[in-house]
Amino acid sequence: MSARVLEIADLTVRYGGNRVLAVDGLSLGAGEVVGVVGANGAGKSTLVNATLGWSRGKPVVSGRVLLDGKDVSALPTPRRVAEGLLLIPEGKLIFGTMTVEENLAEGATDPGPDRRAYSAEDVYSLFPRLKERGGHLGSQLSGGERQMLGIGRALRLAPKALLLDEPSIGLAPKLVSTVLHTVRELCRDGLSVLLVEQNVKAAIAVVDRMILLERGRIVLEGTAGEMRDNPRIAEAYLGTQQA
Amino acid sequence: MNVGQQIINGLVLGHSFALVAIGWTVLLGVARLVNFAHGQMYMLGAFVTWAAIAEFGLPYALAIPFTMLVGIAVGFLMQRVMLQLTLKQDLVSIMIVTLGFGHVLHGVAALVFGSTGQILDTPFSTRNVYWNDLWFTWQDVAIVVVTILVFVALKLVLDRTRLGRLARMVAEDPQLALLAGIDVRKVYFGVFAFQGAAVALAGAMIGPRTPILTSMGFDEVIMTFVVVVLGGIGSVWGSYIAGISLGLFTAFFGALVSPAYTTPAAFLVLIAVLVLRPGGLAAKPGGGH
Repeated sequence: MSARVLEIADLTVRYGGNRVLAVDGLSLGAGEVVGVVGANGAGKSTLVNATLGWSRGKPVVSGRVLLDGKDVSALPTPRRVAEGLLLIPEGKLIFGTMTVEENLAEGATDPGPDRRAYSAEDVYSLFPRLKERGGHLGSQLSGGERQMLGIGRALRLAPKALLLDEPSIGLAPKLVSTVLHTVRELCRDGLSVLLVEQNVKAAIAVVDRMILLERGRIVLEGTAGEMRDNPRIAEAYLGTQQA
Repeated sequence: MNVGQQIINGLVLGHSFALVAIGWTVLLGVARLVNFAHGQMYMLGAFVTWAAIAEFGLPYALAIPFTMLVGIAVGFLMQRVMLQLTLKQDLVSIMIVTLGFGHVLHGVAALVFGSTGQILDTPFSTRNVYWNDLWFTWQDVAIVVVTILVFVALKLVLDRTRLGRLARMVAEDPQLALLAGIDVRKVYFGVFAFQGAAVALAGAMIGPRTPILTSMGFDEVIMTFVVVVLGGIGSVWGSYIAGISLGLFTAFFGALVSPAYTTPAAFLVLIAVLVLRPGGLAAKPGGGH
């Protein structure tokens, strides 16, 4: 496997004494896309939020997060972002009162030679639709455009590892495919992606590996091919019966 | 009634209201926080200016930036004390803490400056302008000019600079701003510093119009609250319009009815506006400003 960009060890999250996540180990190689699937409430969003040290609630988080071998567990969220760990959250992922151009205005200040700093023009090349909508407010964009802008905003900050939470929610199937395949393309430049998805059928087409979360624990892990062939995944998430 | 004179009185008073309110408007708009010590910070601004001129012999032009530096220090200190409450957006505790802070400022000011009133004379406040049957001072002109300059500068900074963009990001969604790599704590410190500087400037500019008293902060905080809410919480131009409107209303109400009832009347206007336009004067149909 390629060099590990992101390593998560003994990550636990508690809400008011209840443990909702307990991940012993998870890693992400350079240029790799790892899918995280599971039912509602399995802990998928909690996993990526805790990796960033970020939450809209007040969880108690413990464990280690290493980015390129550097322990970032004790860093506050903005410092992890500065190190190149980016999260595109589910739901509200852009600033609705600001224009597309303003959303893309904030770039990485000093990303260093090993990280690609995308310019606004790079983002427009990737998503030409955003250039057409440059002067529009974020709140005026469609769901697909918001997702593109969310990804573009993260790319401007020169990510090493990108955590993408449910990008397919509310999107038409064709747009889902476009967004996910764009993400796959980005990985050819060395970007590593942890992709949280409920749409397993769409996710499995672009991931290298996949993990299944149940009740906050990893219960299954394998390559995309292995997971596609797994009867449990096939039956519960792909809607197919194995012979 | 001299209508022209009342218009002048109303415009000067209105610009005064707007200048006092601008710091709180930004505080509410960006950090979604309240500061009930705002009036006492205004009082402190007036007294520090007075002390700088009368006690230390500074010229008015230097006393103003000195006062603003003191205002920044007070704002910074408040934010430092309340940092955890601020980050948690614990509004009830913040209200109580800032009310308490206001009382402390009042007590300290009374101890340092005494409880008797002082006259803050400046080169502008003693120079009158008479035109037909109208009268105003150069201090009044300075208040109007400085208020307009502060509002225009603030609007330009918020709309056209990186600093303003970061402030707007935090204002819209501080949690999402964290994911954009923004140190929200620094932005909050900046906002408190701005509020301290702006309200100190207001004290330095408006203090010369009337005798200054250490007890004057409580009245100011009430009228500031009316301006901020009337303007639509967090709206820069809304606060300006609300300040002018309230100034004109107060001047004419005082002339036609009685100055003694202007505060209750202002609150009646506030209630009426909020019933008819819940978002304040600057509210757009979509709810924004």
